[in-house]
Parts: sequence; C-alpha cells; structure tokens
Amino acid sequence: MTWVALTLLAFVAGMLLGLRVRSPLSNPTLVATVLVAAALLLSHTPYEAYRQNVQPLSALLTPAVVALAVPMYRLRALLAKQWRALVLGGLSGTLLGVTADTLLPRWLHLTDEAQRSLKTAPATSPVALQLAQFTHAPPALAATLAVLSGLVGALVLPPFLSMLGVKHPLARGIAIGSVAHGVGTARAREEGDLTGAASSIGMGLAAVMVTFIVACGL
Amino acid sequence: MTTPPESITRQLPQPVRFVLGMGILVGFAALGTGLTTLLPLPLPGPVVGLLLMWAALSAGLVRLHWIEDAADGLLGILGLLFVPATVGVIDYLSAGATWGLWLLVMLAGLLLGAGAAGLIASRLVKE
Repeated sequence: MTWVALTLLAFVAGMLLGLRVRSPLSNPTLVATVLVAAALLLSHTPYEAYRQNVQPLSALLTPAVVALAVPMYRLRALLAKQWRALVLGGLSGTLLGVTADTLLPRWLHLTDEAQRSLKTAPATSPVALQLAQFTHAPPALAATLAVLSGLVGALVLPPFLSMLGVKHPLARGIAIGSVAHGVGTARAREEGDLTGAASSIGMGLAAVMVTFIVACGL
Repeated sequence: MTTPPESITRQLPQPVRFVLGMGILVGFAALGTGLTTLLPLPLPGPVVGLLLMWAALSAGLVRLHWIEDAADGLLGILGLLFVPATVGVIDYLSAGATWGLWLLVMLAGLLLGAGAAGLIASRLVKE
C-alpha cells in the first residue's frame, strides 16, 4: 500500500505545482509519473511489483471510462445543433491523426512495440490502455504515448490553429479534442467555455472512433 | 407533461449518491464487458459500457443526477488513475534517442489531424 500512498501524494504534488506554474508541462499525471518512476528506480523496485501494489487504483479506470458519457450527454444540445461541424470535423481529425500515427511508424521502420503503441495515441489514455489488448501494444507504452499526445498537443495546437486561421471557438475546440484529448481539453477550456465544450466532445468522439478503427483491424 | 414527483434519490446523502453512481458506472462497465464476451466483439468492455450509458441516459433509463457525483469525481482525478500505467515507461527508458523519433511521428499526427479538423469544422459551423 506504500506505493498507493506515494502515487496519490505525487499526483497532488503535481496538482499543486500546476497551480503555481501555468504550463501544460506542469501536468499532474506527468509530474506523478516522473516522481514515482524516480522512486522505483532509486529503490530498485521492478515495475511489475509496483503495478500489482497499485491494482486498487487501476480498478477505478473501468467506471471512469463509462463516466466519459456524462460530459458528452450534458453537451447534447450543442452536439445536436452543430453536429456537422463537430462530428464531421472531429472524426476526420481523429481519422487523419490515427492514419499518420499508423503509416509513419511503418515507413520509418520503428520497432513493432512503438508501431502498435503510437496508433492509439489520439484516444484518451484510459481508452488507449483498454485498446492495448487488441493492438498487442505494451500497455505502459500505449498509455504513456497517449498522455504525451495530449501534452504536446496542448503546447503546439493553439498557436498552430491560429497560424492556419482557425478562429471559431467550436472549430478550435473540436480540433484540439480530436487528437489531444484530456490535457488538450484542459488547455482548450482556458480559451473559453465553448472551446472547452467542443474539445470535450472531440475527446469523446475520438475515444469511440479509435476504438472502432482498432476493432476493424486497420 | 406533468411535473415528475421530486425524485427520492435526491434526498440521499451525498456520499450515498456517490455510491449509487459508482454502482451504476461499474454495472455498465460489467454489462459492456459481458456483451463483448457474449457476442464476441473485438471492443473493450468499458467503451461498450460508455456507449450503453449514453444510450441509457438518452432513453431516460438512467437519470443524470444518479451518476453525476460519481462521474464528475472520477473524471476530476482521471489523470491519477492511469499513473500506474504510465509509470511502466521505466521499462522503455533504454529506447533513449528513439523517443525523439516517436515524438516527431506523434507531432505529425497531431498537426495533420487537428489542422484538418479545424479547417473542416470552420466551414461547417452554423452561425
């Protein structure tokens, strides 16, 4: 249980840092991962021992994935009114993201593990983790790359979209959410409620879209 | 439509409403997992549970206030729940410089995907 305690406290430490330093890099998941990883390496604890120790925490992921339906349901009025922009925009963004994350690693002859793990990066980390059993990716790598996709997206996408001349809050939000899910959505919320809402929808659609792409064995 | 009688679940103390929500969310995850093994679908059970939950909310079978305390609580700390998975990255530190290449691939995916989504959505937004 010591590792459970350490993981909880490391996450709170990351949250506190985030209140001080406003940057996508002061993300609580990233901070907690670095702190816990350092503690494991310093104490020569194998990852497998840690993973079994913190099983109770991971068990909460299953209901959390189901809970993703709630923000989507709350935003149903917006979704119904703007479904063309949100659904068509979001799905094409996610599809293109997954396609690039599938084909580029193949062309670059990346390792098998990297190829399998990269393709689910546009899906929120808990879903990427669930999909690992079907893509035969190492779960840890798939989850980490998904988190990094959110972090990098939160950093680069807002200025990139401005450069492309994408100004409408709905368009900016759905673009960020469709590939940069959780962390991206937190960043989108800083631009305004509408951007945050659209990003939340994009994240939900991406989770479902990536799941179906994997199910179809593409 | 007549006003529905004040739902009795609203009178539950908040921690108990949290328990009710957790029970329903875990139940839908189990239902999703059961369906995927029964049919059998190459889909993760919890994602099927998400779709079933959306359907149940839309059909009025599940009321939002039954589950929202638990759902908001879980989603508020979602970033904590996959730390046990991301810590596994310590087994991949030996990949070293290759990580740079992985991040570049990811960056390409992000820019292509978000760029396309942003441009398409800009054209389709209803004023």
